[in-house]
Amino acid sequence: MVNRFFPTSLPPSWPAYAMVLGIFICGALTVEGYTSTFAIRALLVLSAFLIIASAGQTITMLIGGIDLSIPFVVGFANVAVAQLGSDGIAFGWAIVIVMGLSAMVGALNGGLSAILKVHPLIITLGTGTALLGAVLLWTKGYPTGSAPDYINEFVSIGASIGPFPVPWLVPATGVLVVALVLFENKTTLGRQVYALGSNPQAAPYILMNPIKIWVFCFMLSALLASLTGLLLLGFSGAAFADVGRPYLFQTVAAAVIGGTALSGGKGGILGTVAGALALTQLNTILIGIGLDQSAVQVALGALIVLVVAVFNRQPHLRNSI
Amino acid sequence: MIRYYFSEARFAILLFCLLIVITAILTPSRFSLDNLGTTLGLMTPFILAACAVTPVFLAGREGIDLSVGPLIGFVSVIMVKVMILDLGYTHPALLLPTALGLGGLVGAINGGLAVYLRVQPIVTTLGSYLVLAGLATWILPSPQGPVPAWLSSLSEGYSILPLLGVGLIWFIMKRLHLHGLIMTIGGEDRAAYAAGVNVDLVRFLTYVIGGVFAGVAALSLTGLLGSADAQVGPNYTLFAIAAAALGGVSLAGGKGTLFGAVIGAVDIFLLQNIVTHFNVSSFLLQISYGVILVIAVSLNSDRLTRFFAKGRQDGE
Repeated sequence: MVNRFFPTSLPPSWPAYAMVLGIFICGALTVEGYTSTFAIRALLVLSAFLIIASAGQTITMLIGGIDLSIPFVVGFANVAVAQLGSDGIAFGWAIVIVMGLSAMVGALNGGLSAILKVHPLIITLGTGTALLGAVLLWTKGYPTGSAPDYINEFVSIGASIGPFPVPWLVPATGVLVVALVLFENKTTLGRQVYALGSNPQAAPYILMNPIKIWVFCFMLSALLASLTGLLLLGFSGAAFADVGRPYLFQTVAAAVIGGTALSGGKGGILGTVAGALALTQLNTILIGIGLDQSAVQVALGALIVLVVAVFNRQPHLRNSI
Repeated sequence: MIRYYFSEARFAILLFCLLIVITAILTPSRFSLDNLGTTLGLMTPFILAACAVTPVFLAGREGIDLSVGPLIGFVSVIMVKVMILDLGYTHPALLLPTALGLGGLVGAINGGLAVYLRVQPIVTTLGSYLVLAGLATWILPSPQGPVPAWLSSLSEGYSILPLLGVGLIWFIMKRLHLHGLIMTIGGEDRAAYAAGVNVDLVRFLTYVIGGVFAGVAALSLTGLLGSADAQVGPNYTLFAIAAAALGGVSLAGGKGTLFGAVIGAVDIFLLQNIVTHFNVSSFLLQISYGVILVIAVSLNSDRLTRFFAKGRQDGE
């Protein structure tokens, strides 16, 4: 009998987790103080931002899309929340307004791509650029304001929850990941995401509405991106429009390292978590062994290709006929 | 023939006509006979970057080359820092093969990893994006020059030459039926494979050709700047992809023309030029760029075309 609660086989994302462990051991051996409480705490907090942003990217990649608007939405939320706050709008309302606008942009991304059948890469690049341009025009390029203390406290590396030396961000990210994994595997919509990604042609025949699913996935991605921007405001203290820039390619890299295919239907959030942890660790280790910024970039580029070449190659064409 | 070109880049061509009229009214001096070469020289790196991403897109199956921008910067840095400054080679007979060869070599590495090792193209080229951008900054932390006079002239009087070079390569590809094979595997690679086409080799060659085009773009950019700057290159990637898409190159493969990508790049250049002329905030430029991009790819959509075509038929 198959045990419902304790699966007997390993989850498909296990190589990515083995890799995270492997990189951690490498880090512990090469970088002094890598296993100290502070270092692990910093690692978890930095990974959490990437995990939240990459989770949205993963969902859009599962249906065969890609969301390049993430860095712009992160920057937009970061600047807009701070600016609205300093203009005297209650912080709660500022968050509602910004998240609402982000969701609308996400819906536009998914809707346009699905209805017109055009590649989301360009659509999301266009809407993202326009959105960030609009917020910069509004703030004249010099955004003011900062996050309220409870958000600063929520993400601060120095904060702790009772005896546990991590800020609330870390368990909250854990809860978000569990919720998203349950959504992927246990809800009808979640299963439809995989079905649509595996075979878009068949979707209409089983009475799925591809447009609805595309709108939903891109909305979710935009919401998670704006959440990242909001949390980063608390982390860095001041608004900065380019704060999302690293997330342009890092979210894609985290998803792909975790086993999600760009063609859709394969992978999932659980792998992306491992991908984000691996990327953040690699970055930390490379800086830790004393490489300068450009050398870190070179090594990271080579390692991303190496990791995917080992763990996540594509099937040959002859196997897809 | 004209209809064939027009169908896939129709929006880009309409936009081009509109923008060229506006530009001619606002800054007629740009089109005087003396300035024509310089005007073209300003656009050439953009145009060639758009050409460089196109072959890989046309070959389909998630083919994408993100590394084009950093590759342009990297070739430029190697030419100026290593060839001209360190080794003292300034003759075109040495520099031209270096630029094209280096571009083709990086293209071959990308192609080898993406096609034969079967690492997803977006990952392969993201990896080489980071490696090339990092190496360029490492070799040349701050911009350095000068460049020989013949290289500068490629962005002034002789700015048509790099474009003609790329056009010639594309023409040869058409003669050799390589272009036809690229379009075939871009359209339906499984059928092509079953029919005996060496799909892997053709895909590999699209990366090499894209790399060579990036090498030509590097020549043109180095001439324009009069120096090498490691920070300039990476910005070209997203621009080039946007230009290709605007010009009707399908990111899913099998549809589009190099001509369309060229028109798309010219459109974006002219648009930036016009917005700059009005001296409005650069943020407004960013907004208009984003909005035009979305409208352009939406209007290029096949589904929209079919929708209107159907409407016309119903009306008859």
